[in-house]
Amino acid sequence: MEQKVETTETLVESSAGSDTKGSNHISRVRKLLCRRMLVGIKDGRFFLGSFHCIDKQGNIILQDAVEYRSTRRTSPSPMEQRCLGIILIPSSCRTSCHVDCSIDEQLSLLKVDQ
Amino acid sequence: MAERDAAEATMSHQAPERSSIPSGDNTVWADISPLLDAACKELGDGEMIHGENFNLFAAMSALEIMDPKMDSGIVSKYCSLDEAIEDGAAPVPLSHDKTIDVQSIIDIMDHLLACEATWHSGHSLAQTVFSCIYLLRLDRTSSHAILHSYCRVIRATCKAVVSVVSDARTHEEEDLFSMTYGLPLDGDGDEKCLSFLNAVEETICRQLRACKAPSSKKRVLEDIEPLQHNLDLEEGFCKALLCRLRFRKHFFHTLACMRRPQGRGFEMARKHIASCILELESILKSAEFLRFGVCGTCEDGIEDKTTASGHTPIGFDASLNSRSAAPTPPRAIKILSWKRAVEYFVKLLHDLDVICSYSLDPSLEGVLRFVVQFQKSKPDLVARAHLQVLLVQDGKLYGRYPIFAVITKASALPEFTKNHDIQKSECFMQLGQLVINMLKILCTNAAWQRRKLGKILQDWRVIYVQLELALRNEVGEVSSNMDDEKMSVKILRHVLNWVEEQTYWIASRFLMLGFELDLYSPSEYCMVYWYLYVVLIKLAEKTHFRMAVSNEPIKRKGKKKKDSLKDVAKESRVHPAILFLQCHMCLAEGLTMMLAALRNDLMVLQSQNPFNTEQERFLQHFELLQKACIPDHISYPSFKESTSYARLSVSIL
Repeated sequence: MEQKVETTETLVESSAGSDTKGSNHISRVRKLLCRRMLVGIKDGRFFLGSFHCIDKQGNIILQDAVEYRSTRRTSPSPMEQRCLGIILIPSSCRTSCHVDCSIDEQLSLLKVDQ
Repeated sequence: MAERDAAEATMSHQAPERSSIPSGDNTVWADISPLLDAACKELGDGEMIHGENFNLFAAMSALEIMDPKMDSGIVSKYCSLDEAIEDGAAPVPLSHDKTIDVQSIIDIMDHLLACEATWHSGHSLAQTVFSCIYLLRLDRTSSHAILHSYCRVIRATCKAVVSVVSDARTHEEEDLFSMTYGLPLDGDGDEKCLSFLNAVEETICRQLRACKAPSSKKRVLEDIEPLQHNLDLEEGFCKALLCRLRFRKHFFHTLACMRRPQGRGFEMARKHIASCILELESILKSAEFLRFGVCGTCEDGIEDKTTASGHTPIGFDASLNSRSAAPTPPRAIKILSWKRAVEYFVKLLHDLDVICSYSLDPSLEGVLRFVVQFQKSKPDLVARAHLQVLLVQDGKLYGRYPIFAVITKASALPEFTKNHDIQKSECFMQLGQLVINMLKILCTNAAWQRRKLGKILQDWRVIYVQLELALRNEVGEVSSNMDDEKMSVKILRHVLNWVEEQTYWIASRFLMLGFELDLYSPSEYCMVYWYLYVVLIKLAEKTHFRMAVSNEPIKRKGKKKKDSLKDVAKESRVHPAILFLQCHMCLAEGLTMMLAALRNDLMVLQSQNPFNTEQERFLQHFELLQKACIPDHISYPSFKESTSYARLSVSIL
């Protein structure tokens, strides 16, 4: 598996010459690893954890995740929370994804090369 | 600039919920979905973005969100208990129509019984009994006397049962039974729950009398408000409610009586058990009225229903508790049907009755016989927990007889030896512990029991060796107090023999349980019976030795002195316990030889396993026994030797 990671990196490096945008996005996301990430899902819950992994389909793994859940569906209400450990959030149920960052960094993160 | 506006727009859209989830100091939440999407597009097939600490194997243990088998927090109907209550999932009163109110509460009572039986059968309290919203917020029910008193007694009963099972620590394969995280089991004033129940019972009795009285008397008793407004159904409903309330009352009393130490409450408990069983019969009879008498229709498929009437009860939601159930993955459980639940309680009560009828035999032999017999009826966890709590209390048998005294009695030593100082030695302290552990193990379920019995064989062997060493030291030493030394030598000799006897007994139980658990294939019966035979030979040998050195004469019933000649003849005969063992031995030997002969002559029951040889299977089955040298010098070759010449032909005999 270590070899696979290296091959991936060399692939990215080698394609850097021909496709600057690709390596830029991937390396920017790579820089976000281990940062606190907040993922919202379809049924209204939120999960806060350390960003551990993402695959091509957009499935995300969070470590030391905490589940946040509103006690009332409709009106605003206090949140209940509980610890879950390591979780996998399929891309199909993900509705939002935010990362904890400084205001300066925020701008650069929102930028996406077209 | 435009980007910043877009960003803020994205953020504020989520603001109401997310604002309550704080980001760090001087930090904000930045939406990175577009960035992630872009990065994912550029990834190759099978590529992932992960750090150096990523381990695929560890990542496989991640809980998948929105997978019902792994995610216990999926928001289904209600987000929380409060939301469910606000939505009217558990109204109090259950209906403004008194007839429907009474009907509904009977359904709730029946469903709770089914939940309780399901819980006893090995599921968590949170998903069964405490799926009842009324139980989760008991205070809400205070305006409804019947519902309130019933819920209170249920809560108190659950607490009592959890207490017994926790004290016994009868480990089962899954210790879900006594998990009560976050469940409101502790109620203030629940000890008085019975007085609430009695008051309610009293009222319903009067209502029953009122509706049965002829119309002239009715005018006199008019001050009693009827239970509900349909006079034709009043009697049926009153009776249905009464038997349910009375069952709960007697069941709670049973548990309370059985908890009294040293079996002091057993006689009383038996009376309550008898009442429980009578009320259960009435409950079963009430089903007909509840199904047909009320709505006049017949519902098909009643077998699976959790209520007598066949209706679904209101006020239950198992998902509300799933988050506090346990850290284990959620599992969908099926609540037992109402009929099966009643059957379960009938059996439980019968098993508890057997325990209450036990004479508290002070001899260890008697205890073991009783426990083995009791286990034959396959009692469930709650009954077995009660048995264990009776047998071992405060490190004594029944809380009454110190273990050392039990051991000296079992070893056929005179009574005064139970006070000997040798009990304080390390060896004897450990031996006492082994005996207590053995008693506890014998109260567990068959599978667990067999596993543990196999494991303790080694411990019993070790203690034997240690006692042997102690004996050698005692015999070697010259003590100033000659009487004392002689006594400790005598004690050691007796106990040594008894320890061997007990070890062989455990081995025989280990082998026998294999049959109960279907662990042997027919081609292996021959070797199992053979091993059982050699173990029984040793067991009989040790038992015989114990009886021979015993100071007590064989008890005779009702014989007078003038029959002395007959008595002498009787004394020279074999003790019944030995005879019984000899019967077992003959049976085992006979079966071994028959099976061996069938194999040798007719080639039946041969081992057809291509993966391992008969010798390997022999070693696998008897590994624990062989390791502990039980018995010594027994091996596969000796098995082959004993059985290879067996033939069906009678002329060989």
